[in-house]
Amino acid sequence: MSLIALFKSGVFLDLYFVKNNRANLVSFLLWPYLMLILMLGAGFLFGSTQSFRSNVGEDVDPIVFFVSSTLIASASLSVMWDVGGAVLLHRWAGTLPYVLLAPYRTSIILVMAYIPRYILWSFIQLAEFLPPLILRKGVDALIIDLPILSVSLIVGMLPLLGFSAIFASILLVTKEESNILSWLNPIILILSGAFYPSYLFPLWARVISQALPTTHTFELARLSALMSAPGVREVILIIGILLGMSALYNALSYTMLGKAEERALGSGSI
Amino acid sequence: MWVLLLILGVLLFVPRSQLPYALKSAYWTIACWSVISSFSSIVGGWTNFFISLGMVEEHMLRGISPFLVISGRLVVASLVSVVTIIFMGALVQSLFSIPLFDIRPEIALFSFTLVSVESLLYSLLVSAISMRSSISEQFLEILNFAVIGILIVPISVIPEGLRIFYLSIPYVAPAYILKVASGSEVPDLLIIATAISIIEAIAFLLIALLAVRAAESHIRRNGARAIGFY
Repeated sequence: MSLIALFKSGVFLDLYFVKNNRANLVSFLLWPYLMLILMLGAGFLFGSTQSFRSNVGEDVDPIVFFVSSTLIASASLSVMWDVGGAVLLHRWAGTLPYVLLAPYRTSIILVMAYIPRYILWSFIQLAEFLPPLILRKGVDALIIDLPILSVSLIVGMLPLLGFSAIFASILLVTKEESNILSWLNPIILILSGAFYPSYLFPLWARVISQALPTTHTFELARLSALMSAPGVREVILIIGILLGMSALYNALSYTMLGKAEERALGSGSI
Repeated sequence: MWVLLLILGVLLFVPRSQLPYALKSAYWTIACWSVISSFSSIVGGWTNFFISLGMVEEHMLRGISPFLVISGRLVVASLVSVVTIIFMGALVQSLFSIPLFDIRPEIALFSFTLVSVESLLYSLLVSAISMRSSISEQFLEILNFAVIGILIVPISVIPEGLRIFYLSIPYVAPAYILKVASGSEVPDLLIIATAISIIEAIAFLLIALLAVRAAESHIRRNGARAIGFY
């Protein structure tokens, strides 16, 4: 079994999933807009664009702000659930022993089989959000904002893959069967400042948020919401932080998942 | 927790001076919704589990209604709701330093009882329907999500002539009572909301009973459809 075969299996898994679950596809395409409608509808009901700008402290377009936030929140959630929660899903389906006994390391299998799904769905969502982006910022959105959002999706995924694989290793060692990620994931997103910027939080929450890769991905993506053109220096700085985190979290996860795998195989209690 | 994430985004539109009031109103709306959501997902999950294991037929053969067993999720759903509400409140309080639990407990408890009863009966109704038709869970999730959009609307923005109609939408009246308990809504329509909530709960009970009986009779003749909802 080559790495390409793993990659191909990821592609076919998703294509057939969509083919056989049309309702799932419709729901997947509807969800981001439903979230956006709820936040913007309730937001304009309770307050105004002026208050929004004053609270955020920057001259940003609220619609583009939430479009970029929703896009990154959906993509991050997908990584955290599909890589971090993969151990749980395999355990529930009874396929975990096969994954552990396969010739490749579990971390490689989880990541390689997942990347096609991530790229496919993230960019479908980005394409889905193009109409509101163009409507708010004109065709310029395709020149500046589209590359920023695309880079956020790709560079933001790198540290998050490692970060989520750390959770996978913890779930593997603790033999956890309950869906604790459904609790943990929203907390991670809240502290990352998914829809409420983390710099508005108290110090303890800001400290935690700085260690989360998603915080910096949201910051990068939200540069597209600025009414003026974002500074190149700022973009490069955030990309640098994400690449640094990527090296750290992936090295950590590779070691931790390897140890967890050895332990699960050694104890025979998969 | 998921809805809290979205509601934080809504709070960005609120002027700083009105944040304590808006946050309290938003938090107790989410608390009410989390009861509705917990009951739907826990009863739905159990229905799915019951159908998958073939336990529906097993119970009916022994003269026990599977819906009676599924109703036992009331305890689990209540516990999950209480833990979620307390944890979420503690997190929001520590993030915003705004007291959220300064409420009238007797009215809040009354509201939670009403919303729990309505949610359990609604879940049983969908559970009964799911045993004889193929309902896609995604569309139920969307319906569930739409409820929060309705609940979050403050009654003050509804035209006076339409307020009773608005309160008559399922779950809105108990949510209004909860917001009154937290001090984020004026109590002008408290008695009417209480009456509507009780009438709604009775209506839900009757409809759920009819649906459960119809589903049991259908299963005896045709078997359960292995779809369920979650």
